[in-house]
Amino acid sequence: MKRAAVAGAVCAALALCIAGAGVHPAFDARALGAFVRGVFPPDLSPPFLRVVGLAIARTLGIAVAGTALSVLGGLPLGILATPSLFRRGPLLAGERPGLLTALVALASLAARALLRFLRAVPDLVWALLFVVGFGLGPLPGALALGVSAAGILGRVYADLFEGVPPGPVVALHAGGASRMQVFAAAIWPQAAPAVAAYTLYSFECCVRAAAVLGFVGAGGIGGEINLSMRLFEYGQVLTLLLAFVALVLLTDAVSRRLRGRFQRNAVHGSGLLRGPVEGRVARRAPALLWIALAALAFQQAGFLGIAAPGLLGHFGRFARQLFPPDLSAGFLASLLEPLWQTVSISVVGTAIGIALGGALALPATATLLLDRRDAPGVLGRAARLLAYSGSRLLLAMLRSIPELVWVLLCILAVGLGPFAGALALGLHTAGVLGKLYAETLEEVPDGPVEELRAAGATLPQRLLWAMWPQAREMLLGYTLLRWETNLRVSTVVGMVGGGGLGLALYNNVQLGFYPRAATLVLLIYLLVSVTDWLSDRLRKPVTSAEAPPASAMELISAASGSPAAP
Amino acid sequence: MIYDLRTVAHVYSGRAGAVRALEDVTLRVSRGERVALLGPSGAGKSTLLRLLNATLRPARGALFFEGRDLSALGPGELRAVRRRIGTIFQHPSLVPSLTAQQNALCGRLGSWNLLRSLRALVVPGSEDVRAGLAALETVGLSGKAAARADELSGGQQQRVAIARVLVQDPEVVLADEPFASLDPGLTAQLADLLFEVTQRRTLVAAMHDVDLALQRFQRIVGVRAGRVVFDVPAAEVSPELLQQLYAREARRAG
Repeated sequence: MKRAAVAGAVCAALALCIAGAGVHPAFDARALGAFVRGVFPPDLSPPFLRVVGLAIARTLGIAVAGTALSVLGGLPLGILATPSLFRRGPLLAGERPGLLTALVALASLAARALLRFLRAVPDLVWALLFVVGFGLGPLPGALALGVSAAGILGRVYADLFEGVPPGPVVALHAGGASRMQVFAAAIWPQAAPAVAAYTLYSFECCVRAAAVLGFVGAGGIGGEINLSMRLFEYGQVLTLLLAFVALVLLTDAVSRRLRGRFQRNAVHGSGLLRGPVEGRVARRAPALLWIALAALAFQQAGFLGIAAPGLLGHFGRFARQLFPPDLSAGFLASLLEPLWQTVSISVVGTAIGIALGGALALPATATLLLDRRDAPGVLGRAARLLAYSGSRLLLAMLRSIPELVWVLLCILAVGLGPFAGALALGLHTAGVLGKLYAETLEEVPDGPVEELRAAGATLPQRLLWAMWPQAREMLLGYTLLRWETNLRVSTVVGMVGGGGLGLALYNNVQLGFYPRAATLVLLIYLLVSVTDWLSDRLRKPVTSAEAPPASAMELISAASGSPAAP
Repeated sequence: MIYDLRTVAHVYSGRAGAVRALEDVTLRVSRGERVALLGPSGAGKSTLLRLLNATLRPARGALFFEGRDLSALGPGELRAVRRRIGTIFQHPSLVPSLTAQQNALCGRLGSWNLLRSLRALVVPGSEDVRAGLAALETVGLSGKAAARADELSGGQQQRVAIARVLVQDPEVVLADEPFASLDPGLTAQLADLLFEVTQRRTLVAAMHDVDLALQRFQRIVGVRAGRVVFDVPAAEVSPELLQQLYAREARRAG
C-alpha cells in the first residue's frame, strides 16, 4: 500500500517535470544528420592544429592558475573554518570564555559559510560574472575556477584538519604549545599527504571544468568548440573534442599516479615533506623548472593583463552594480518559471540517465556477461564479449563529453530550450551512472548469487533476486548523488541554450541588468543548498557510515560536476 | 540410480598453478540413499558436492544424473537438473536485504519464468506466499517471515536455507557441512530438522562431525586427498579406518 503510494507520487512528480522540461517529440533528423556527416573527417590541417594546441595550452594554464588560486584562498579559509582550532574541542576546553573567543568563533563560522557560498554557486556562473568584470579571455576563467575550487578545497582541508588523530594534538597543547604551533607541528604533518592528494584530485576536476568555461567567453578549448559549432565547422568540433578527451585522460593518468604515491605516504604515516615523493620529484625537476612552468601557466591564463590600467577599477564598478539585488515582487514572480524549468531539467535529465545508463549497465557488467560457466558456445561467447566491450565503450564516450557540449549537440536535434538541456544532462549522466551501476553490480557478494545458481535460477533471475536486492541501496545512493550534481549543472545549461535559470542569468547579464543577475545568483545558491541538504537527508539512512576520505572525494566530484570519483 | 560418477577428476587452475582437487572418483548413489562424506578439510568434499549439484563441470571422467551425462547437457537442461537438486551450504548465503520469506521463495526460481520471478519479487502470488510461510513454519520460523535475512542469527539463517530447499522440493538434497558453524545445541535440533525434511529424498552430506554421521547415515564415503578411500555401510566403519582417513590431521595436531 505504502509502496504503491510512493510509486504513484514519484510518477506524478516525474510527469510534472516532463511537462516542465518541455519534452516534445519533434526531432530534427536533418540537422543531426548534417552534423554526423560534417564531423568526418576531423579537421587536421596545420593551421587549425596550431589553434588546437594553443587552446589546450590555454586550458591547462587556466586549470593550473585556477588550482593555485584555489589553494591560496582555500588554505587560510580552511584553517579558519576548522572547528577544533577555533570553535570547540580539547584545544579550547581550557580557554576563558570572553568576547575575543566569541569573535574568533564567529569568524570561523563565517569562513565556513563563505566556503559554502563559493562552492554552491557553479563555476560557470562565476565565469560569466568575471567575464563581465574583466572582459573576454582566459583570466576570468582562471579566477572563476580559483573561487569555486577554493570553496570546495577549503571545506575539504577543514575536514582533513579536523579528522587527524587527536593524540599528538592534545599532547602538544598540554605541553604549552599555542594553537598555531599545534597546527604546524601536529595537524599539518598528519594531514599533509591527504591534502596533497585531494589538491591533485581537485586539479583533475579543474582541467575538466576549464574546458567548458570557454562557453561563456572565458577562454580555452570550450570557447573554440563553441565557435566551431556556431560556424558549422563540425570537423573542427571533432578534432577539439578528441584533443579534450586526450587532455583529460592524460591529466587523470598523471595525477592518479602522483596521488597514489601521496596516499601510500599517508598510509605509512610519513609526512609529505620527508616523503619519498618530494625527493624523487625534486631530483627529476629542479625547483626553477617548476616555477617557470607555473609562471607560464599564469601567463597563459592571461594574468599579465591584470595590470592593465583601469581593469581592476572596471571590475570594482561592475561589482558595485550588483548591489542591491533586485528583490521586487514582480521580478521574483517572473523567476518561478525558470526555477521550475531548472528543477525539471535536473529530474528529467537524471531520469533519462537512469534509464539509458541502466540499460547499458547490464551488458557492461562483467560478472553477468563474461562468466565462463554460462558457456553458451563460441559464437555466443563472442557475441557477449562484443556486447560487453561495445557498451563499455559507449558509456565511456557518453561520459567523456561534457554536459555543455552535449547541450550544443542536442540543440541541433531538438532545438533551443529546456528539453535540449535535459537531454544533454541525460546523455552525460547515462555514461556516469551506467559505469557506476555496472561496477556496483560486479562488486555484489557472490555467495547468494551462487546459491541461486545451484537451485537452478537463470541469469536474469539471479540478477533480479540476488544482485539487485544486494545492490539497490548503493545504486540509489549513487543516483541521488548524481541528481545533486545534475541540479548544479541544470542551473547553467541555459547559458548555452538549454533553458532554465542559466538562460535567465545569461540574458540579464547580457542586457546589463546586474541587480537582477545578483538575485539569480542568490537563487541558484539557495536552490543548490536546499538540494544538497535534501539529498543528504535522503542518503543518510542509505550510506550512513562513510569514511571521511570517500566523502571528501564525493564533495569535490559532486561540486565540480566531474564524472566520478575514481 | 540417481548418480553415477565414473573416474571423475577435477583440477582448479589458479595463480599458484594447478591444484588437483579430485582424482579418479567413482561413486554410485541410488534413489533414497543417505550418504555422508567424511574426510579432512581440503580433501575435496566441497568440490565433489559442487560437481554433484551441476554447478561445476568435471575436468575428466563422466558424471551421470539419472542416466544422463551432465557434460552433454545445454544450459536449459542443466538448469532443469539443478532445479531437482537442493543444496545447503555451511555458511548459508542468503540475500541479505530480502526477507526470510523471499529467501525461502528463491527455491522456486528454477521453476519460474522471468516474468513470474519479476512479479513475485514485487507482489508474490497468494499460493507462493502460502508455500513460503508453510516452509518457514516447518523449520520453526513462521514468526520471522517478514524479517530481513541479515537480521537473523546464524542458526535462523540456516533454517531459512532449509526452508528454501523445502520450497524447491527437490529429489536430491546436498549439504556441505551444514552444522559446522553452529553451536552444539543447535546442531542436534537442526540435524533432526534436516533428516525430517529429507525423509523421502536422496541425501548426500559432507559432515565434519563423525559421530553424527555414523549415527544418522546408512553409508559413509571417506574422501582423502581427492580420492575415495573407503565406501562402506555405517556399521562397518572401524576406528582404524577413521584413523587412516584423518591421519595427517592427527599428526599435524600432535
